[in-house]
Amino acid sequence: MRYVDAGYAAALGTLLVYAITLALRRRRWARAFKVAQADQLVDQPDADGTTARVVPGVRP
Amino acid sequence: MTATGQTARPIPRAPAQSPSPSALSAAAAGRSPRWLSVVGLLGVIALGFTVWLGLWITPPDAVQGNLARLLYIHPPIATVALYWAGGVALVGSLLYLWPRTRSLFWDRLAASAVEVGAVFAALTLVTGSLWGRPAWGVWWTWDARLTSTALLLLLEIGYLALRRVPADPAVRARRCAVAAILVAIDVPIVHFSVDWWNTLHQGGTFLDPGFKLHAHGSMLWTFLLGFIAFSLIFVWLLGMRYRIEVLQDHVGDQELEVSLAERWDEGAGLAGAGAAVGVGVGTAPPPPSGSAP
Repeated sequence: MRYVDAGYAAALGTLLVYAITLALRRRRWARAFKVAQADQLVDQPDADGTTARVVPGVRP
Repeated sequence: MTATGQTARPIPRAPAQSPSPSALSAAAAGRSPRWLSVVGLLGVIALGFTVWLGLWITPPDAVQGNLARLLYIHPPIATVALYWAGGVALVGSLLYLWPRTRSLFWDRLAASAVEVGAVFAALTLVTGSLWGRPAWGVWWTWDARLTSTALLLLLEIGYLALRRVPADPAVRARRCAVAAILVAIDVPIVHFSVDWWNTLHQGGTFLDPGFKLHAHGSMLWTFLLGFIAFSLIFVWLLGMRYRIEVLQDHVGDQELEVSLAERWDEGAGLAGAGAAVGVGVGTAPPPPSGSAP
């Protein structure tokens, strides 16, 4: 029976580990997607279509 | 004027894009749809019943004894690895290459099928080897069925390696579609290997014209339940893997857009500084064409 037990353990264990890996990968990529979206929102312009830019070294 | 006493100079910019439908779908891809969860739950339940029936309920085989219990999982796993995964990869790749149906959906589906198929192909070899050691006396032999199955696994690993090579999405999809077709060519070789060559592995079973199933009762139902269970698990894993593929693509796109925006800001800032100090840099460069703001 030890070969049978080993076969079932290998099959079920591998599928379980793979499913957990997929869940973790999906969570990681979903988080990366949200971060990338947030980066895009930060870069959006003001309501008048302009973005304030500071020109260094120039005094009023 | 800013708090630091520096002038604030407005720079006209192209309006940023609102979140595209594809981006919204990518956001939705982070969550599993209900049908996929149901399929996964049914697969886990069916697999649990298969294990329970296979290990504790079914009687030992008259010839093989308890070793026959491995046959409740080995043929179903091999079926998924060969026909389901290979079939989805082939159909997805062909539909991507066909101009009328070209869509990254098919490319992602094929890639997902190849990865899940590689896991099942590895399991096919492992469970087959665990059956072969007591039945044949060897862990491995260069039998045509075993060798062609190992070749299938190697081809799938090669496909996954090719997919990681950085390239334009369309270029990557096209070369991966060709690679998937090469993977799929091995499937009929595995299937017919027991007919084309003299093999230690048993001959064809289900698709043979004169096939007659000799299993009965609980053994038959456990055998059939194994096919259903592993097929449901395959669909579930395929769906999960596909959603990762969608997220990866969209994160890649967004990172590219952010990088382009940063480059644009740097260029605009330098131009503004040059204009302010009168070095004749000129006006800010026009916004780049395309989707980048």
